[in-house]
Amino acid sequence: MIEKLLSNLDTLLLLSCAFGALGCAALMLVLRQPMRVAMALISSMLFLAGIYGLLGVHFVAAFQVLIYVGAVMVFMVYVIMLLEVREHSGPLYSRLLLPGIAGLAVLLVALIAGIWRPLPSAAHGTGASGYGIAAFSVAFLDEYWLLFELTSVLLVAAVVAALAVIRVGRAHAGGRAHG
Amino acid sequence: MDRTQLLIGLAAALFCLGLVGVIVRRHVLVMLMCMELMLNGVNLSLVTFAQQSGTTVGAVVVFLVFVVATIEIALAIPIVLLLVRAKRTLDLGAYNDLKG
Amino acid sequence: MLTAVVLLPLLGFVLNGLFATRLRSHPLGHGFVTALGCGLPIASFALVVLGVLKLAAAGWAPLVETAYRWAQIGDASFEVAFYLDRLSAVMALVVTGVGSAIHVYSVGYMKEDEGYGRFFAYLNLFLFFMLLLVLGRSLLVLFVGWEGVGLASYLLIGFWFHDLANARAGKKAFITNRVGDAGFLLGMFVLFQAFGTLDMDRIDASFAGPVLPAVSASLVGILLFIGATGKSAQIPLHVWLPDAMAGPTPVSALIHAATMVTAGVYLVARMSGVYLHAPEASAVIAAIGVGTAFFAATIALVQTDIKKVLAYSTISQLGFMFLALGVGAYGVAIFHLVTHAFFKACLFLGAGSVIHALGGEQDLRRMGGLARRIPLTFVTFAIATAAIAGIPPLAGFFSKDEILWYAFASTRGGSPLLWFFGAATALMTAFYMFRLLWLAFLGPSRMAPEVEHHVHESPRSMTSVLVLLAVLSAFGGFIAVPHFLEPQLALPATDEHLHAWETPLLVLSVVLALAGLALAAFLYGGPSGRVDALRARFAGAHRWLSGKYFIDELYEAVIGRPLVWVSDRVFLRVGDRALLDGTLNGMAAVARGGAWVLGRVQTGSLHVYAWLVLAGLAGALLWSWRHV
Repeated sequence: MIEKLLSNLDTLLLLSCAFGALGCAALMLVLRQPMRVAMALISSMLFLAGIYGLLGVHFVAAFQVLIYVGAVMVFMVYVIMLLEVREHSGPLYSRLLLPGIAGLAVLLVALIAGIWRPLPSAAHGTGASGYGIAAFSVAFLDEYWLLFELTSVLLVAAVVAALAVIRVGRAHAGGRAHG
Repeated sequence: MDRTQLLIGLAAALFCLGLVGVIVRRHVLVMLMCMELMLNGVNLSLVTFAQQSGTTVGAVVVFLVFVVATIEIALAIPIVLLLVRAKRTLDLGAYNDLKG
Repeated sequence: MLTAVVLLPLLGFVLNGLFATRLRSHPLGHGFVTALGCGLPIASFALVVLGVLKLAAAGWAPLVETAYRWAQIGDASFEVAFYLDRLSAVMALVVTGVGSAIHVYSVGYMKEDEGYGRFFAYLNLFLFFMLLLVLGRSLLVLFVGWEGVGLASYLLIGFWFHDLANARAGKKAFITNRVGDAGFLLGMFVLFQAFGTLDMDRIDASFAGPVLPAVSASLVGILLFIGATGKSAQIPLHVWLPDAMAGPTPVSALIHAATMVTAGVYLVARMSGVYLHAPEASAVIAAIGVGTAFFAATIALVQTDIKKVLAYSTISQLGFMFLALGVGAYGVAIFHLVTHAFFKACLFLGAGSVIHALGGEQDLRRMGGLARRIPLTFVTFAIATAAIAGIPPLAGFFSKDEILWYAFASTRGGSPLLWFFGAATALMTAFYMFRLLWLAFLGPSRMAPEVEHHVHESPRSMTSVLVLLAVLSAFGGFIAVPHFLEPQLALPATDEHLHAWETPLLVLSVVLALAGLALAAFLYGGPSGRVDALRARFAGAHRWLSGKYFIDELYEAVIGRPLVWVSDRVFLRVGDRALLDGTLNGMAAVARGGAWVLGRVQTGSLHVYAWLVLAGLAGALLWSWRHV
């Protein structure tokens, strides 16, 4: 039995990571406190990182954890802590709960029915050479250099925008303080 | 069902859950996090397809999605902060100035 | 050369029209307008005389001059061509001759007027269109002239347009003419359909040929005659002519006596080829002609405005001309047209002289005793009155007597009944014209004292023309126009058995003229009690006659008011407001409603927007994957 387990370890791990991601995502919709929702999302992202690792794209998994969990979600947790003082009371769901659930069902059916057909099997197995970080960086800076440059421009723009928003916020607060 | 189908199904499910989360939840920050969930679903599908086709372009696009997600959150949070400062609540039901 | 004849007055119109008001303050401005305004028509007259001489030299073969091609539509080509033969020569001589004389008269009459230059511009414009009318070869050119003289008439009737009544009179004239023109146009359409050309000489020739064309000559005849009733003021479209007296007197003389109103007569005479084969149409023309003559004469018996008497007299004399046309005596009708131009113009201009002398007074009840004060006007007026009454050997006697003879004896529709009404009209004509003479010139003066002080003879420019026209009225009868026109417009055959009546009828018409004179002298030469007694005895008839048989009121009630009602109820309220505006407003309301409905999407709630995104996405996916 251990052999069977070991031979199917890949699949087993994949399945558990998949269920984990799905379960944490579903939890997000149900939990009341935003901090717990953030934790659920972080868990989901970690499970996804696991899936990426199982697929063989290790550097994507690393980026997932570093950037998504490590930067984005930390920022989000920080903001939650900044804004939340007391228990969040009041209605949990909007008026569109039932239409939302109905829409969920329909969209899910549409998406899955559309793509549920045997896809051509992967040309490479796990850990394909094309997915090493070396190959990736070479391709990124060679073939897709324009995207690389555009990305940097985008980042600069984002920094400028963030500064502008801060200034607006300060002016607004300052104006109100004076007025 | 093989592995690819499972992952694609998972990606679709994550995306739908994220979208429905935006529709259903009232808390502004929770809605933002659901949008992140949507992006994750898309990422998963991109990675799956990329690995299946064997080219590097898929990985490049995934990387760009990371960058865009970062920028998006970097700007969305301040906007939400300003909104909250104006409305003094995190409940989306109060943000209906654009009605009509 | 013919083109030059037509264009010279047009040049006068353009130059006077452009420069007259600007030069009003300039010392030479008056002279400039006069020189152009009178000189160009006189030059036109000289050219017409030259043309007639040329025509005679060419053995009276018609001269044709094509000015230019107006349009080429498929196979049909429409040219502006001028045509000089015996008939148009007579007409052109009358138009330019009498026209130039009246232009000279206007120099004196309109001297003080502010619109002096404008007046001459309009007069020249009229002359241009009238010449187009008489010299045109095709019905199309004639119709352009026809409409153009209507326009000039409108402009000149409402010349003193600051008085709204004058403007209304001009409008009435124009609109009444347009009603007639509808018939004219239909006639033109039928002719073009049948012949493929509108050239009048060619149409007449086709009718004269061995094979009759397959078109109803009577239909064409009636339609063209409808146009003629409008232009020549016959029943039922005669209502505009008395109102047209609102214009200055030279206008009344030129347009509403001598030339424009005779255009209808000219048209029928020119299209005689058609009418020779249309006995029904000719009968209609004769009946309406004599009926109008009788009817207008009865009204003229009781009119008190000097110009209105002459207006109804004109309608009556035009009726005589149509009577002649109706019985086939086309040349005789033209003869009467020519003599009528002479004496009626003289009468109108004399009336103008009287009005000028009295400083604007037109009411006969406030005149009298002018013979001693303005003798030259009196003498010319008397000669012209005698001419119209038909006293031999003046011009009117010859032409009227020929008409009455052919009305009686012509084999193309002459009958004693026509003669009877014609003779009765002649009697009445003599009576009311002498009545006019007595009331205006003879007897005790009934003038207001301040008017009486200023009575003076008219200036030389006016009296010279009066003398000229009086001479023509006296001796014009000896110009044997019917015989001159015989080769072109044959005189109808007369019934053999009735030849015995010729001399007695001649004597009878002279007796009638003298009887009219005697009756007028009796009633108006003696004490006024006689007239008052007569009026009291026939008060009802008098009311009918002075109310012009209330025809205007009838038209207003039967045609005018229903039309206004339809315009208001149907076209304005239903058609314009409810349908058109309603449709547009309705469409706008639909758009607004639709926008309101769609606007309900903007709830301001982000949840709803996100849900709509989901719905759209699901829908698009399902739709695009339905084949899979």
